[in-house]
Amino acid sequence: MIPLVGVVSVRHWRHSRNFRLWIPLFLLWLLMLPFAVLALPVLFLVCLISRVNPFEAIATFWHIFAALKDTHIEVDNRNALVLIRIL
Amino acid sequence: MNEHRRQILEMLSAGKITADEAERLLAAVERETPAPSSGNGSQSPVSKAKYLRVLVDSENGGNPYHGPIKVNIRVPMQLLRAGVRLAGLIPPQAREHVNEAMRERGIPFDLSQIKPDNLQELVDQLNDLTIDVDVDNKGGFGQEKVKVRVFCE
Repeated sequence: MIPLVGVVSVRHWRHSRNFRLWIPLFLLWLLMLPFAVLALPVLFLVCLISRVNPFEAIATFWHIFAALKDTHIEVDNRNALVLIRIL
Repeated sequence: MNEHRRQILEMLSAGKITADEAERLLAAVERETPAPSSGNGSQSPVSKAKYLRVLVDSENGGNPYHGPIKVNIRVPMQLLRAGVRLAGLIPPQAREHVNEAMRERGIPFDLSQIKPDNLQELVDQLNDLTIDVDVDNKGGFGQEKVKVRVFCE
């Protein structure tokens, strides 16, 4: 399952302000789909030149893309807490 | 109660380890202890870690520019599995360059020997990985302590 939503959350400790942004990644993927189709021949060409199996390359990148789900990055210091989650 | 478990609990009661560390150690002991057989010869499924965790805890003494920093990263193991497959995409010419460079630095390793099965085994073995790094520096702004923990859960 590909990641569908990204969450970026910033919390300022001093100003006690919260900022949370939900990014609907599924819309982003839909928008990028035409570009991906256009980029596909270029990718095939690059793979052929570098003697790499293009199908294997696509499969690998797809696996990496799909595995991004559930990634959680949190950085907290004296001023702010930044949280990035991919759901 | 087995000996390992008793030792961990004693270390916890003596304050040598934290509750979190004790929990992880107990989990590791449980993993090592073979599960009782059901008698039909079937093997119980191996508990696989789902995430690689990296925790960094920096206490920066009296530095006025940045205080204590805490970093908490959780990476799905699936991402690591997918990432290691990238080694298979290295073009043969580049692979030779890499092999040569590694040989020059005293690492006689052939990248072409990396097979998906080996990589899978390597990632699976990360389940038991725990790295603890403690740094205690005396800098210009006072004492700086950095604690890094890498483990799977």
